Amino acid sequence: MINLEKIRQDFPLLQKPINGRKTVYFDNACMSLKPLSVIKAINEYYSDYPACAGRSSHRLGAIVTQKVAEARKKLAEFIGAKKTEEIIFTRNTTEGINLVAHSLKLKSGDIILGTDKEHNSNLIPWQILTKKIGVIYKALPSKSDNTFDLEKFESMMSGKIKLVAMGQTSNLDGTSLPAKEIIKIAHQHGALVLLDAAQTAPHKKINVVDLAVDFLAFSGHKMLGPTGTGVLYGKKSLLENLEPFLTGGETVEYSTYDDHKLLPIPEKFEAGLQDYAGIIGLGVATDYLRSIGYEKIAEHEYKLNKYITEEILKIPKLKIIGPADPRLRSGIVSFYIEGIDSHQIAILLDETANIMIRSGQHCVHSWFNAKGIKTSARASLYFYNTLEEAEIFVKSLNKVMKIL
Amino acid sequence: MFCIIALIVFSILGIFSATHRALALEALDCVFRRVTLRPCNTGFKERAKNKILAKLLERSEMAARLFNKHFELLSWIFFILMITSTFWVVKGGYNFYLYGSCNGLNQSGFCAFDPNGENNKVTQLNNLGICSPEQQSEKNLTLNGVDLSTFPKINTDSKNTIVFIGCYECDYSRKAYPEIRELAKKEKANLIFAHYPAITNTSYLSTLNYCAYNKNPEQFWTLNDYLFAADKEKLFDQIFIDQALAQFDFNAAEINQCVNSAETKAATGAQFQELKKTGLYGTPTIFINGQVFVGPKPYRVYRSALKKFIFF
Repeated sequence: MINLEKIRQDFPLLQKPINGRKTVYFDNACMSLKPLSVIKAINEYYSDYPACAGRSSHRLGAIVTQKVAEARKKLAEFIGAKKTEEIIFTRNTTEGINLVAHSLKLKSGDIILGTDKEHNSNLIPWQILTKKIGVIYKALPSKSDNTFDLEKFESMMSGKIKLVAMGQTSNLDGTSLPAKEIIKIAHQHGALVLLDAAQTAPHKKINVVDLAVDFLAFSGHKMLGPTGTGVLYGKKSLLENLEPFLTGGETVEYSTYDDHKLLPIPEKFEAGLQDYAGIIGLGVATDYLRSIGYEKIAEHEYKLNKYITEEILKIPKLKIIGPADPRLRSGIVSFYIEGIDSHQIAILLDETANIMIRSGQHCVHSWFNAKGIKTSARASLYFYNTLEEAEIFVKSLNKVMKIL
Repeated sequence: MFCIIALIVFSILGIFSATHRALALEALDCVFRRVTLRPCNTGFKERAKNKILAKLLERSEMAARLFNKHFELLSWIFFILMITSTFWVVKGGYNFYLYGSCNGLNQSGFCAFDPNGENNKVTQLNNLGICSPEQQSEKNLTLNGVDLSTFPKINTDSKNTIVFIGCYECDYSRKAYPEIRELAKKEKANLIFAHYPAITNTSYLSTLNYCAYNKNPEQFWTLNDYLFAADKEKLFDQIFIDQALAQFDFNAAEINQCVNSAETKAATGAQFQELKKTGLYGTPTIFINGQVFVGPKPYRVYRSALKKFIFF
């Protein structure tokens, strides 16, 4: 059991009422709250050792270098990577995916396979490449309940597919795909696999070695870390053969007027001054998550999701996107009601009960456009949310629905 | 429609508040988009609507439901109400500037710029037996058939004529008199002064007024200004009156003799009867080129009437 009372003390926002009411923060799929330990780590960097890592030989530089190295080690351990150099710090998942897209030496006719509900971050970079160099992008249709169709996937796989680039857990409906099986099948057909783990890393244990995934990208801001932080994992052998996407300071061993020599991984991919405070904070965020434990997080989210799902399905005409079983939807409840604007629901929940949810197309415009659904409202839960908050949400949603 | 209302309302509120200024800008963007036949996709309308809806929901579920269901209709109603009220506000401001009352010339009723109705107040005449509202109407006020030849006058060769009917002891007459005097001086207008004893025990001042003017028309106006400026209580003090007469080169004994003469009493009695023909019901009542003003108006009102500004 999660000690909610103790945990919630660590999140300043949860202690601050707005207009005399508690804030119910259910927009965790977009951005998680930050615990005091992360905030403290960021503050410490700026107040105690606000220097450069690597390039400065003074004592403050040495501290930063050491802290960043520690953070890299923590992140490697966090996803089960064996080598710390396989961890490349990025600004977010989007940058990680773009790095792969622009560095992978794809050529005309290469096929990239995604799903029909990819986040724009894992769709637009490939669409750009289709126009730029003529790669082909294909979207694998999901089953009728929006879950992954492994059989269809297997039937679509061929030697022409160069890369399988898929969201491991959907930000639309919270469903996760069978990553291990997908990777196995893809490798059998000679394809590489890139997983967008932005919605997985905050909620589920990842082990890149066990998965045998080639590339995996995730963001810090969804998993208690600072904004503007992210990680791209890549197998060492693959990363070493990739051309850097961004170049410049901190990426070369030396340069002359005519030439340069790139540093080995991960430095060759980390051009320019890094967000040291963010990286250090992200390392601390992994400590916090590990201290809670993923099993407890998943169980707690399921409990809340189950309650909300059961209660809101009583609302006439309300439809939940994705499978009915909340266990398959992680901490996400995405729903819509025909004829009712989801933005209106979101604003009214905010205005009447300080409930923060997301509304719109959640950067999955392609799926909404294909299905002819305008928008959805999305409540996304995390381990610090309580059953009481879920009850407030259900009660407030029912109240709002009476007037719409 | 909603954006237009919001633009106007928030623009006004934005004068005082930066938050509303930002909302006004957002509304402006929305209006601009609609005017240029583009969809208003800023979400402004939705946010504003739902903020109102949320407040309503806290008070009444039914009201919130009706508001949500009939939002467009309500927007139109409020738009029409706003246009109408804006028209009345502008008209009220215009009236106040020109007539000293939001409701029009000599019209009483609430006026935000003159909440106590000071510009319409008069000293009611309690000696005419006038009671009904019909009788107390400026529509009945006229100078037709009224002989003003025996009353004090100045600048008689002017084409503009001001007739001031007031009494020395009445507060509102005392307020209006200096304005009228100044206007007559500046514009060299023909000013006819008629003392009407709205308060009965000041009748003797009519005879004093009559005698002083007939003895010395030029010095009369100085004495008149002095009496209007003097403490009201002193107007009943014979010593004060005598001193005032002496101060302005009048022979007090001679004036007092005139005041007490039967001829003077008959003349002022005739004047009183002439004034009653005007239909006046309170003082001050002022005619400027035939246009009647009841109650003490601001200087600009008298000036506008004399200068024949629009609608005069």
